[in-house]
Amino acid sequence: MSEPLVVLDGVEKRFDDFVAVRRADLTINAGEFVAIMGPSGCGKTTTLRMLAGLEDPSAGTIHIDGKVMNGVPPHERDTPMVWQTLALFPFLNVRENVEFGLKMRGVAAPERGRRAKDWLERMEIGEFAGRNIETLSGGQKQRVALARALVTEPRLLLLDEPLSALDAHLVIRMQSVLTRLQRELGITFVYVTHSQSEAFAMADRIVIMASGEVAQVGGAREIYRNPANRFVAEFVGRNTILTGSVEGARLKTALGSFTMPGQGTQPADGTQANLVIAADRLQIGRGPLEVENTLRATLISEEFVGAFVTLFLEAEDGTEFKVQLQESALGALDLSSGGTFHLGWRGEQAHLMIEDAR
Amino acid sequence: MKRFNAYALTFRLPIIIWQGLFFIGPLAFTIAMSFFLVKNFRMEEAFEMKNWSRMLSRGYVWDSYWFTLMMAAGSAALTSLLAFPASMYLAFRSSESMRRWAIFLLIIPFFTSYLVRTFSWYVILAESGVINAGLGLIGLGPFTMLNTIFGTLVGYVMLTLPLVVILQTVTLASIDRSLIQAARNLGCGPVRVIFATILPAAKTGLIVAALFAFILAFGDFVAPYYLGGSKPPTLPILIIDTTKAGQQWPRAAVVAVMMMVTLFVIAFTAILLAYRKRASR
Repeated sequence: MSEPLVVLDGVEKRFDDFVAVRRADLTINAGEFVAIMGPSGCGKTTTLRMLAGLEDPSAGTIHIDGKVMNGVPPHERDTPMVWQTLALFPFLNVRENVEFGLKMRGVAAPERGRRAKDWLERMEIGEFAGRNIETLSGGQKQRVALARALVTEPRLLLLDEPLSALDAHLVIRMQSVLTRLQRELGITFVYVTHSQSEAFAMADRIVIMASGEVAQVGGAREIYRNPANRFVAEFVGRNTILTGSVEGARLKTALGSFTMPGQGTQPADGTQANLVIAADRLQIGRGPLEVENTLRATLISEEFVGAFVTLFLEAEDGTEFKVQLQESALGALDLSSGGTFHLGWRGEQAHLMIEDAR
Repeated sequence: MKRFNAYALTFRLPIIIWQGLFFIGPLAFTIAMSFFLVKNFRMEEAFEMKNWSRMLSRGYVWDSYWFTLMMAAGSAALTSLLAFPASMYLAFRSSESMRRWAIFLLIIPFFTSYLVRTFSWYVILAESGVINAGLGLIGLGPFTMLNTIFGTLVGYVMLTLPLVVILQTVTLASIDRSLIQAARNLGCGPVRVIFATILPAAKTGLIVAALFAFILAFGDFVAPYYLGGSKPPTLPILIIDTTKAGQQWPRAAVVAVMMMVTLFVIAFTAILLAYRKRASR
């Protein structure tokens, strides 16, 4: 089994009255690709900056490789970072940018040149070694930034929304470059992003943060199918959430009584709980559907994303339902004539979430 | 053919007229005057090389030239060095409101006459002045500070320091902070980050600030005259002396043209250096 490389133990960060990160506990194993995801201001970047030593925790301890890192200045750590703005030095050329970290560590010039050249070639930008930074394209700059961070062969690489400034088609390319690099090098990547697609596409494990707290940690599938709380259910994917109270094996809601998926322990009657139904698991039709749970709703709007369509519908009590289906399935629905639709889902395809404090 | 644009010209015209009247015109006249002759204390229009050959062959002119050049360059370097820690503090350590106050206070000296400020330094630096009185208490001195090169330097620094601090602060404050953090992240200690990142990133502004200090000191008459006691005379003092002695305005014009050419060359070189892009290799 892989040993833990980074351990956050009750880490907090306060800026005056504002709490950016509160009581964060997190273990990252050596060789893992971990994405920290959340909306703006959730504390994900602050967490990353604490790993780099650019911020010191107000409380709790950070261990890297078994050592307590609190108070260790950034330049005495081996935690290179790839920045959202890339932060390439405009007064140095491509090769000198890549050599910077080695130079600061006192590596002799010939050795620096050799290692920089290796990395530039590995990133397929060897031909640009003597060029000015500003003459490069966005994707090329990205590769320089990666080479500069990786040239010192660290055990841990920190990435702060590195792809957010790139065009959509380049993002996909760089995602595969990053995952391949991480596998080949076997080093630990901690990748901060607000993009669900980036996190899901690359990470072994995903940490969801919300207002300074770790909301859920898990694999992409686990987070998608079994959100731990309402925040994750709303933030990740397109989920419909029905709130009600437990009554035997069913959940009683304002829209009626629905079956609950089988759980390890049956919650007591009267417990507040949520049913989370993913958009791709809701069925829709003009006529009655042959599933256990059905209701009727009115179409509000639709959203096309290539081959898929998301329909937004409203039930009689105002609850919004999101249904995702193939574009080719639209014909049978005859959307333009309006009116109400039948919605339904199979009981075991919903996810039961016991109401928590938030 | 570029179309004649009356709208754009309307806005450009005032500055063109201004520059023509008050810069190009006098400059052309100064150059022309350097070829005039003086007979019986009266200037006569002429085109003779006499003034040029006389001034350029005199050792004292060249002594004064190199002295002025070295003093101005030295004071620009000294002022830049003195200003840098303060600018670093204002740019990176102080709060936004403190920086605004500091810049306001740095502008205050420009409200008072330069001559008045110079004479207050007279009181401070004199044999019986404030500094020597203080040093006398611990049994040192008195030191002669007036009428020395040191006095001139104090004057130059007083004249240029506030401006250099302002220019440096603005430059340093506009450096992309993520560059500094990236340097620290890549193993750069707190002192090294100044040389490896802050200085190269702020190069343009720092050179321009030093250039301003040089230009002001190079053309200053007050500090070398009152605090330095014209020992030795700088070029501006030489100009005054030459005009006073036998109405030799054309010879003074020669010195003025020498100064202008020097300033052009130095300013041009400095700007070239400041904005030089890295050569692609």
